[in-house]
Amino acid sequence: MKKSLLLSVPALALGAAALAMPGAASAAEGSSYQAQLNALNHSSASGNIMISLNGSQATITENVSGLADKFGGNPYPHVQHIHIGAKGECPTTAADTNGDGVISTTEGAPSYGAIGTTLTTSGDSSAAAGLTLTVAPSGASFKYSRTINLDSKTLASLKGGTAVVVVHGLDPATLSKQAQGEKSDLVPSLPLAATSPALCGTLVASQMSAMPGGSADTGGGSTSGVEDQALLGFGGALLVAGLGAGAVAMRRRTAAES
Amino acid sequence: MSGIAPHTRRGRLTAAAAGVLVLAGVLLLVVGLRAQRQAPQPPASAAIPIVSSSSPVSPGTSGNSSGAPASQAPAAKAPAKPVRGPLLSRSVPVALEIPQLKVRSDLLQLGLNPDQTVQVPPLEKDSRAGWYKYSPTPGQLGPSVILGHVDSAKYGPGIFFKLGALRPGDTLSVIRSDRTAAVFRVDRVASYPKDSFPTLEVYGNTDSAQLRLITCGGKFDLSSHNYESNIVAFATLVSSHPA
Repeated sequence: MKKSLLLSVPALALGAAALAMPGAASAAEGSSYQAQLNALNHSSASGNIMISLNGSQATITENVSGLADKFGGNPYPHVQHIHIGAKGECPTTAADTNGDGVISTTEGAPSYGAIGTTLTTSGDSSAAAGLTLTVAPSGASFKYSRTINLDSKTLASLKGGTAVVVVHGLDPATLSKQAQGEKSDLVPSLPLAATSPALCGTLVASQMSAMPGGSADTGGGSTSGVEDQALLGFGGALLVAGLGAGAVAMRRRTAAES
Repeated sequence: MSGIAPHTRRGRLTAAAAGVLVLAGVLLLVVGLRAQRQAPQPPASAAIPIVSSSSPVSPGTSGNSSGAPASQAPAAKAPAKPVRGPLLSRSVPVALEIPQLKVRSDLLQLGLNPDQTVQVPPLEKDSRAGWYKYSPTPGQLGPSVILGHVDSAKYGPGIFFKLGALRPGDTLSVIRSDRTAAVFRVDRVASYPKDSFPTLEVYGNTDSAQLRLITCGGKFDLSSHNYESNIVAFATLVSSHPA
């Protein structure tokens, strides 16, 4: 909307909300958790995840990028979970007990624990769905957004600071020759790369009690672009008319003199 | 055709009318052009902090321990990174002063809309900024969030119209209801497209008392009647004194 000095413009109330109103009741009752997801096993991926908790209902928003892109010509499925009940840490290279250069899921378990919840794209989100490739998000980067119920063990681990998000699936080309030939410790029909961790982050309580969804709607646009277009248009029209009249007067003068 | 000699009445009137039109046109154009107001946009250099102070806590680094934030987390885990700088106790903010921009505002309290976006202050003639009440109070550990409009369709520039002119090193104060003034120093000012808003960078945990001043910026999308970006000023608590 452009503000005009000449014409009144109907107000456009963008995003206006009652001030200091109680707002969504769930925000005050719930709590918020977050994790930076950092690369494991020489992955070049990164990401973050936020969980808004209301009772046992978790609204999860996750952004990741830089993961392995293709698996046998198809989008690479990246199974991902909330691991629970161990140290609440991401493993270091010291966890690579067999020295093949890859921290497998099993080798990382003493740090982050067993699967508590599977972050599937649809359907079952329990540990039972932990290796179901068809409901894993896929590709090099994705945004995951889902509301699921967390079971009591995952909730306890989350509130206790021992819940760790792990995203699995490595690019085989980044593995050592030895590791490239190994089978997965979880699904022997798959290569080690397919199920080993690529991203890891411990979920910590947010310093915010409720995390906003993102950007803020703090502008109505009256000062953007060209303001007072009617005024400028009218001024321009007058100028053109004046110059035109002047040109006519000049031409007639010249014609009269010739 | 026989011309109109300049010394005739008609000739002089035409010339005079032309002169008036040109003058009037120029006058309106000058008035209109001088009335143009553009909200300052932060340059890329303003996004570079002068001191490396406001990097958020990274809780899950492989090789580190979990790094839960110091005093706020329910988990009894020692933080990986120690808290830096002064901290204040919890006290709801009531006013904001930014001397550099000649801005002073009482502070509203803002919550969340049903769609989980942050509430913004009402668009009114007396444009006031608001503190997001689910963020820490200014001075507590963590990112305290204050929002303000850059403008409104009806009333022109808003309370945060000049936010993009803040630069690293500028100071501002937040007056709290416990009658302390929390003084913050701007670390950096950045502009982020709304469709790729870095939520954790702005709202994520920090290891010091931080402030986030947020308004709109960038291009205005005529079809959606929304600005394309948010301007965010990041600031760290440096001191406090009785208000």
